[in-house]
Amino acid sequence: MEEKQPQLTGKDQWNILKRLLTYLMPHKKIIAIALFLLVLTVIGDILGPYLIKTFMDDYLTPRNFPTGPLVGLALGYIFIQVGNIVVSYFQLLKFQEIALKIIQQMRIDLFSKVHKLGMRYFDKTPAGSIVSRVTNDTEAIKDMFVSVLVGFIQSGLLVIGVYIAMFILNVKLALICTLLLPILFVIISSYRKYSSVVYQDLRERLSQLNAKLAESLQGMSIIQAFRQEDRLQDEFNTINDSHWNAGKRNIKLDSLLLRPAIDLVYALAIILVLSYFGITSLSNTIEVGVIYVFVTYIDRFFEPINQVMQRLSIFQQAIVASSRVFKLLDEEDLAPSQNNEEHAKIEQGKIEFQNITFSYDGKTDVLKNISFTAEPGQTVALVGHTGSGKSSIINLLMRFYEFEHGDIKVDGHSIKDFETEEIRDKVGLVLQDPFLFYGDIESNIRLHKSDMTDEEVIAAAEFVQANNFIEKLPNTYKQKVTERGSTFSSGQRQLVAFARTIATNPKILVLDEATANIDTETEVAIQNSLEKMRKGRTTIAIAHRLSTIQDAELILVLHHGEIVERGTHQQLLKEKGLYHKMYLLQNSVVEEIA
Amino acid sequence: MKVFLDLGWFFKERKKQYLFGILVLMIVAFLQLIPPKIVGLVVDAVNEGTMTMTFLGKWLGILALAAVGMYILRYYWRVMIFGSSIFLGRQLRERLFHHFTRMSPSFYQKKRVGDLMAHATNDLSAVQQTAGAGVLTLVDSVTTGGFVIAAMAITISWKLTLIALIPLPLMAILTSYYGKLLHQRFRYAQESFSSLNDKAQESISGVKVIKTFGQEKEDTKDFVQLSQDVVDKNIRVAKVDALFDPTISLIVGICFFLSIVFGTRFILAGDMSIGDLFAFTSYLGLLVWPMLAFGWLFNIVERGRASYDRINNILDEKVDIDDKEGALDQKPEGHLQFNVEEFKFPEDDRVALHDVHFTLNRGETLGIVGKTGSGKTVILKLLLREFEGYKGKIEYGEHAIDTYKKKRLREAIGYVPQDHFLFSTTVGGNIAFANANATMEQIYDAAKLAYIHEDILQFTDGYNTVVGERGVSLSGGQKQRISIARALMMEPELLILDDSLSAVDARTEEAILEALKEKRTDETTIITSHRLSAIQHAHQIIVMDDGTIVEKGSHEELMKLKGTYYEMYQLQQLESLVEKGGEQ
Repeated sequence: MEEKQPQLTGKDQWNILKRLLTYLMPHKKIIAIALFLLVLTVIGDILGPYLIKTFMDDYLTPRNFPTGPLVGLALGYIFIQVGNIVVSYFQLLKFQEIALKIIQQMRIDLFSKVHKLGMRYFDKTPAGSIVSRVTNDTEAIKDMFVSVLVGFIQSGLLVIGVYIAMFILNVKLALICTLLLPILFVIISSYRKYSSVVYQDLRERLSQLNAKLAESLQGMSIIQAFRQEDRLQDEFNTINDSHWNAGKRNIKLDSLLLRPAIDLVYALAIILVLSYFGITSLSNTIEVGVIYVFVTYIDRFFEPINQVMQRLSIFQQAIVASSRVFKLLDEEDLAPSQNNEEHAKIEQGKIEFQNITFSYDGKTDVLKNISFTAEPGQTVALVGHTGSGKSSIINLLMRFYEFEHGDIKVDGHSIKDFETEEIRDKVGLVLQDPFLFYGDIESNIRLHKSDMTDEEVIAAAEFVQANNFIEKLPNTYKQKVTERGSTFSSGQRQLVAFARTIATNPKILVLDEATANIDTETEVAIQNSLEKMRKGRTTIAIAHRLSTIQDAELILVLHHGEIVERGTHQQLLKEKGLYHKMYLLQNSVVEEIA
Repeated sequence: MKVFLDLGWFFKERKKQYLFGILVLMIVAFLQLIPPKIVGLVVDAVNEGTMTMTFLGKWLGILALAAVGMYILRYYWRVMIFGSSIFLGRQLRERLFHHFTRMSPSFYQKKRVGDLMAHATNDLSAVQQTAGAGVLTLVDSVTTGGFVIAAMAITISWKLTLIALIPLPLMAILTSYYGKLLHQRFRYAQESFSSLNDKAQESISGVKVIKTFGQEKEDTKDFVQLSQDVVDKNIRVAKVDALFDPTISLIVGICFFLSIVFGTRFILAGDMSIGDLFAFTSYLGLLVWPMLAFGWLFNIVERGRASYDRINNILDEKVDIDDKEGALDQKPEGHLQFNVEEFKFPEDDRVALHDVHFTLNRGETLGIVGKTGSGKTVILKLLLREFEGYKGKIEYGEHAIDTYKKKRLREAIGYVPQDHFLFSTTVGGNIAFANANATMEQIYDAAKLAYIHEDILQFTDGYNTVVGERGVSLSGGQKQRISIARALMMEPELLILDDSLSAVDARTEEAILEALKEKRTDETTIITSHRLSAIQHAHQIIVMDDGTIVEKGSHEELMKLKGTYYEMYQLQQLESLVEKGGEQ
């Protein structure tokens, strides 16, 4: 779907263009070569007709045909033509290469930037729009580099070359021909001025049209249930008509100011040249070759101008796309930064939450004054209703979000003091939704750790008993994993995610238990694996099934961001509070409370 | 070229514009011949010393006239032909939309919105291209090509024309060969671009996992590799793409060289003048475009045909639920009798509903409870005639529901769906969806009844606040209440609430139900719900499981039964206790 177009002033556009051009800097050398080739082709374009002129004036008109010089001339002409073709091929290729490299760099910059952003940014931005920054917008910019910028330089050089040649040949006529420049300038700038309005309007209406269509398709059952088909059809037709009218305006504008107009100026140029020669020929002799050269130069001169005009809309779109790309590159919602104290190491795995109060939006606190301690090797379980703040505790421990009030200490150091790598190495998180990447089972366990041996991968899988199902797969560890692992059951995905975490041998384990339905057989395997994984590791676990955490050293019952009950399973049951009720609910012990 | 025949209806419809446009295009093609000829004449006059002011004035005057004429005519053919092509886009879009409004839910189950959108955008623009650029390239390449060659052969020298044109077919052959190569390499480039896209998509969706394992750098390395592949594949494209211009220059250059060499001979033999040679070489330049256009034409037409076929496939889908012949043109009223022996969704072997029988008297409320997938919503879908093809009979008033006109039946039913879909218009506009001419008072009343009035007044622009992506973001409960108000606006005979109070808190739910009860004494209501509190007060409750009724009766009767309903009730009491944090 079309996104809303940002409004850009002329100054914004200019700044964006300048910033875009800075991407050319690293390619100075190749650009210089490509420009040199471009200059060669322009020179070739200008010399070719000149040779024909020489032939016409020196040999054809006086009917004088000495073999030697003529063969020389012909060879010279052929050489220039063939040379020109070869050079222009490489020139075209070079410029494309540069554009592709620039876009690649831009994409890499964007992608690295995305990885530096904090979870907050991902919360507020739909994944689709980030993806389209990285791929589609950059593609639009590529089109500009390839077809507009090069075309622009080429026509610029050609205009200069042609004028130089004209001035050398005939100063007076060249001066007359400079009259064309202001006319062309007026046409181009008025086209730019009007088209930016008309063309933007057309795009805006197209996006309205598509939005209306998409919405109607999504809400069709409502439209039909409420018998509003005719009204919606009318509304759609109105937008469709206004889009059509905008389209007509666009066609009219293009027809008035694009090719037909440039062709008209071309005819004017020819008239100028012919009248000049016609009138001077009344008093002086004129060599026809000069007429030929001038006519040909004028031909050459208009072609690239036509092309550039045709592509101005690409330029406009690229500027809009760039503004979005730069906005992402300038995004300041970065991931929390660390103090990177080298001596801070996680060895024991003792975790202390000290008076943590936290809010995502700065208004409502989702965690209020949370304190607890997990001794090395202990399991602390978090239970509570949806929205009670369990996941937020994990999010803070994992440093996905920055917090202001209170502190989290691991082995006596504030969590903010560790190097990011230390936390990532020693704290293993298993997410509720076990995300599998495209690839195979092995690559999903190993991830990008190239130093992990095959044995270690298998050992990890065996440890969490994922090997049972993996070994039954036709290609075992090399079994392909499609997008998001959709061919595997959620239990199987969970087991792979366990193996992935255990393979890194973390000191601290953070578990967000899956809520998805898992078949009983896998469920048993998962429970066994979890028990094994927790041994010798400090574990913070979010449990949806209370049965899984009965042996936890500490159970925290959360409600609206506060710890309302704490203790062991037995203690909490005795309290007959919220935990007790949840326990009854899960075991469907209806009679006891009725 | 078959697509031009398929689009024949449209060309007929816009006969005037196309005939005029094509005629103008042909005149332009003819006028184009004038400038080179005049250059030739002037050159000859200069060369032979026969130049006079009148001669120059006359020919340059003609040249100026031709240029202005061409400007005007070029403007008109564009407006005629391109204007018609976008008119075709408009027509097809309207037709598609109309068709979409008539299709039943089973159609939308089969097709994804994204695909339908693609047909209405990409395919449509390909067809539009055929009717615009396709017609242009066909007419222009034939006429300009023909005229120019004729002018060269007739007015200058047919012998030289033959000689000079020898290399031209080579251009058509080479460019079409490049086209094929390009097509293939372009596909590879597209594929590699889409894997880059997939990679970005995956990394962003899985960003938490990547962060957890601290693999940002490694993941970026992966991305760099894929982006390099995109570069490599695109360079392969560029290698072919960059061949076009030089090839054209080469072949035109050869033609040109041949014309000069042989032209010189003809001049020496006295068969033509230097001016003729000038004109001849200019004509050669004019031939480049028709040659290229011809190559394009096949491309455009091929794409247009495939796209037009896809659009037609959609338009040919039958409307599967339509009014019967002589359908009753009256709004149904009275009691409802639902007797369905068996129902399966189209293209699904599983039984969705079996042996469901109940009668609902006018003015009564029916509650339907049951697990997800137990068949609650299926009952409603059949009532709304979203699906047909069941064994049994559903009667509303005196007649079976399928004997009414579909519109009249739906006039009686106010439906609040599970997925509360709101349109991106104002809140007021959403409430008045079924009755765009409703007064503000009517809208207020409906909103008050649905307990959303106070909330709406809190929004920045009150009832004029825009809903949706670009407007205020509403909570699930607010959306539900707005969609209830939307249904109440109709003052329907039969109000259906399909689990539409799930996101509303208990107190509001009670208030809404109470208000409905008070207001709708003579009208019928059906409520499905997970939460028993929403249906507890109903005259009649049915408990659904696995597509059929397992228990039936009033709340008191069902409680006495101590069956499924009783158990659900107890568990929900407990659940609400937990939700409230254990406080009674």
